[in-house]
Amino acid sequence: MAARVLLIDDDRDFRVSVRSLLETRGYEVLEAGSGHEGLRQVLEHKPDVILLDVMMETSVEGYGVTHALKYGDEYAEHRHVPIFVVSSIEESPDERFPMSAEVEMIRPDGYFTKPLDIARFLEILEKAVS
Amino acid sequence: MSEAAAPDTIVVIDDDYAMRLSCSKILAKMGLRVEVFENGARGLEGVAELKPGLVVVDLKMPGISGLEVIARVHEIDPQIILVVITGYATIDTAVEAMKSGAYDFLPKPFSPDELRMIINRGLDRRRLALESQRAEVDRALLKRRFVTFVSHQLRTPLVAIHQYLDVLKHLDQTKDDPARRQEWIDRCLKRTEELQKLITDWLTLARVEGGTLMNERVEVDIKPIVSGILASYEEMAAAEQVSLETVWPDEALCVPGDRNCVNVLFDNLITNAIKYNKPGGKATVTGSLSGGEAIIAVADTGVGIPEKYRPFLFDEFFRIKGEGVKRTEGSGLGLHISKQIVSEMGGSIEVESQAGIGSTFRVRLPAWRAPAENTKMGSWQ
Repeated sequence: MAARVLLIDDDRDFRVSVRSLLETRGYEVLEAGSGHEGLRQVLEHKPDVILLDVMMETSVEGYGVTHALKYGDEYAEHRHVPIFVVSSIEESPDERFPMSAEVEMIRPDGYFTKPLDIARFLEILEKAVS
Repeated sequence: MSEAAAPDTIVVIDDDYAMRLSCSKILAKMGLRVEVFENGARGLEGVAELKPGLVVVDLKMPGISGLEVIARVHEIDPQIILVVITGYATIDTAVEAMKSGAYDFLPKPFSPDELRMIINRGLDRRRLALESQRAEVDRALLKRRFVTFVSHQLRTPLVAIHQYLDVLKHLDQTKDDPARRQEWIDRCLKRTEELQKLITDWLTLARVEGGTLMNERVEVDIKPIVSGILASYEEMAAAEQVSLETVWPDEALCVPGDRNCVNVLFDNLITNAIKYNKPGGKATVTGSLSGGEAIIAVADTGVGIPEKYRPFLFDEFFRIKGEGVKRTEGSGLGLHISKQIVSEMGGSIEVESQAGIGSTFRVRLPAWRAPAENTKMGSWQ
């Protein structure tokens, strides 16, 4: 069965191009334009891997999603789903919230910077779902 | 933060008991909190603990000298104002004290009024210094925010374009889909336009703020400018199914200003009225002259602006986001630029809005007055 990838990103154009790329590699792709919508999709469609834009403009929202997935009771059965943070600015949560002990709680499984290095992206994604 | 509410604290350091007593009486009557100390060592402990706004210190004391007290107080907090008390004989030392950071000096003997005056001046000075320090911090934050925001705003469309092109390159060419390819090229063009608009807006803003956009102050008739703008947006309005209307007075609507600025100002307001409208809606520009002012209202029939957002509408980068809000592209600078232009022209801009009915932006500008060529400045006869 094809692995399911959930793309959470507020830029529709980014989702469109990445979706096409992933579909030609045999993935099934789900899209969400906001963090809330993404969480809804997690419950409804049970993705195998999540790509999450941290959405600088509404800074907490992106990491709010990782936090909810790792600690929210309703997402208990999705805790194991790998989350990759995708961001146009190379900055890990450790750099962003240097003083916060809560960084541990929201640390994702990996980072990709935008625009994606396609070869590396596909390789890591494949490992994550296998 | 607490400084604003609590009364200012004054520390008086003087070895003379009578001096301590009279100072503390006078200052307490001024509504200030006063603590007195009889020597430099104790005084410094008091300063470290009380964090006063101002310290009055006698220059000539046994033990730690007044001069040393000044230096050590400023090590504790460089914003503390220091006033030195000195006898006539030590005026040179007073000068030295000023050089080492004292704010002012008070030669003995002094009257209560003299003390009050110097203390008030010192406290005013401190407030000013604290305010400008705060403003500096605000400016630094704003600048940092601006840089982060601008780079994000620039990157987002660039990333989208790059990603389209890169994926196109990686897609299996044998399964090329011409329709998809065309759609993506169109999107890339659209995002490129968005980038260009962003850059134009930032440049306009930089020019307005730097004062270089306001090149000339000539007689500008608003009517033909607005008509020109409306004509250029006919196509866009048709696509949004919005009709454009003007309600003009018979006379010309002339203001003193820069043609380019007036154009940018109404271009922003009119494009907003088209973008934030609804199919079948109207964008109406109404003008009038009244009380020496040209009043121009740009009204839309959109969903209206929720009251909670209205105070922030003219802030730079402010954009309303959320469920049910029409997603449009833009820099978030249009209204900010408009407001800057209006205030440069000595006018005002305000917004009225009603949920479900629409919003009206009303601009008031001083009307043009013919140069005083006919006024009799004397000297003719």
